[in-house]
Amino acid sequence: MKSITIDPITRLEGHGKIHLFVNDDGSLANCYFQVPELRGFEIFARGRPVEEMARITTRICGVCPDAHHMAAAKAADAVYGAQLPPAAVKLRNLVYNAFFAGDHATHFYALGGPDFVCGPDAPPGERNILGVVAKVGLEAGKKVIAQRAAGQRIIEIIGGKKVHPVTAIPGGMSKRVSKEEQAEMIKLGEQMVEFGKFTIQVLNDVVLANKAYVDMILSDAYAHQTYNMGLVDANNKVNFYDGKVRVVGPDGKEHAKYEPKDYLDYVAEHVEPYSYLKYPYLKKVGWKGFVDGVDSGVYKASPLSRLNVSDGMATPLAQAEYERFYKTLTGDASGKTMVHATLATHWARVVELMYACEATLQQAKDDEITSDKIHNPPQGIVGEGVGIVEAPRGTLTHHYKTDQNGFVTEANLIVGTTNNNAPITMSIKRAAEGLIKKGTPITHGILNRIEMAFRAYDPCFGCATHSLPGEMPLELVIHDARSGDVVDVVCRNC
Amino acid sequence: MPELLKPLLVLCLGNEIISDDGFGPAVAREMAKEAETSRHVDVIFAPVAGFSLLDLLAGRRKALIVDTIRTGKAAPGTLHSFAADVLVPSHHLTSSHQISLPTALELGKRLGYAMPEHLDILAVEAQDLETLSEELTPSVRAAVSDALRLVRDWITQNGVEETSNER
Repeated sequence: MKSITIDPITRLEGHGKIHLFVNDDGSLANCYFQVPELRGFEIFARGRPVEEMARITTRICGVCPDAHHMAAAKAADAVYGAQLPPAAVKLRNLVYNAFFAGDHATHFYALGGPDFVCGPDAPPGERNILGVVAKVGLEAGKKVIAQRAAGQRIIEIIGGKKVHPVTAIPGGMSKRVSKEEQAEMIKLGEQMVEFGKFTIQVLNDVVLANKAYVDMILSDAYAHQTYNMGLVDANNKVNFYDGKVRVVGPDGKEHAKYEPKDYLDYVAEHVEPYSYLKYPYLKKVGWKGFVDGVDSGVYKASPLSRLNVSDGMATPLAQAEYERFYKTLTGDASGKTMVHATLATHWARVVELMYACEATLQQAKDDEITSDKIHNPPQGIVGEGVGIVEAPRGTLTHHYKTDQNGFVTEANLIVGTTNNNAPITMSIKRAAEGLIKKGTPITHGILNRIEMAFRAYDPCFGCATHSLPGEMPLELVIHDARSGDVVDVVCRNC
Repeated sequence: MPELLKPLLVLCLGNEIISDDGFGPAVAREMAKEAETSRHVDVIFAPVAGFSLLDLLAGRRKALIVDTIRTGKAAPGTLHSFAADVLVPSHHLTSSHQISLPTALELGKRLGYAMPEHLDILAVEAQDLETLSEELTPSVRAAVSDALRLVRDWITQNGVEETSNER
């Protein structure tokens, strides 16, 4: 057994591990990954006023606090049977799009982008945002910082606090927006739209202009024919804050379109004996294992799947990019033919980024957001509610049952990343199959190619903990399939 | 012009609802009063990581980060104190969802922000970072008072002469 010594101060426990079981002939027998996950949400929630969940669940995830705020607030609206005034819905939409615009920008430039801008085989020391800035220019770095700041300022104006919003309450919002604040948000929205256009240009010049990268995106090693899930509005356009959940099969046929409250009729969770991870799947199709195809209940919920379930984008520049995305990858601009290439998720994220920026500007210009009527006090109590939004990394569900005083008695969460546990496992396996060969040493380059398969999903495992060093260490453990012995270990950030 | 920031920052990271990740917030709560009256040091609690660290650290001369860590080599509650440059080899930068502290610092420098000339870390060895709870585990809770002493020492050692004598 080969072991690698790691500097004790940087060696961290509780990090992500990918286990690969390799046969004697070098082929892959099995693969699974382990990540730290939070425990005890139900116990934690029980006995708390349901309206408090929107404030406190922002702490569950350091990456998408706004998503938890909105999903919990929508669930609390439903618990109280509250009807929101139009201005409150508009404010929530606006702040949520501003959040998306910042989050997607971070992922593209800091996390996903480096593989394309710097190249998948670039040394780790260059394959990061510093490498992106070195290649695209310092201006790009400054624009990313400004984009994040713009998003945070809008969250501060509407959400009351910079990072963790607090103003969505059952029946509406608790903070009005002034005319001056509206004017400021319009300016920020204009800046965001320019940033969206700039990002499309970067994507063009650096990624799409390089045939090798386009080939990599389309390669079989990173493709999966699964079902897709995402929220859509009344016109089947992508919507992050509200709408119905639409599920479309790998063949492009609609499998379901349902109200958030009915989610348990459509989604169930599979548990594997070797892992505490849950693998959600489509109940009506059934769990058939980690396999592709219309007969397998595996689905993904990601930027790519949101485009796949929609008939387009609700804003012009994003719609144009949507059409170019499908035209380039399938030959059919309508979007009716599914894109299955996992790495295309990065491009889908740019389409969504453009939409989030345009929607922010559009909604900031709507004078109704300065209305005084932003809250309808709830009149009664239903005692159960489901709230679903799209988190940047997938469909996020909060479900609460309460007593007659609104205190939580039962709680259930399906977070964005959890939806993708099965497709992530499959993507890792597929990527590994192509790379792990008998007698070939496992290098950091190979680890990165495998890591790319799941980085596309922008997962945030155990993201609630911010303990040092602030990024998830990842270990690749190679086992002998027969004996289970560890034959090699490659480690990153640990 | 934004008002001039105090030169020293004690940045307490963590999360109040995830067991031992509440260590940073606990230290920040204890330090809040004395920091308020100091002209030299801010003590901030922030449940953030990655890029947000850049926002918070820019403009400070020196900073101390208070956080949790899991080395697996020490008993829970053990305090680790070290300079930030030994934390993570700075070339290990690829991440699943965030940029690391060294990356945030380096990016800030390259973009022309005034980043701290020196960064120290005070981290407690955590026992539980997975259970949603507002309580620290007993050994980590017991480390808070020692951590407060070390934070105050750090403030003193970094050349700050407190003008008030509020302690």
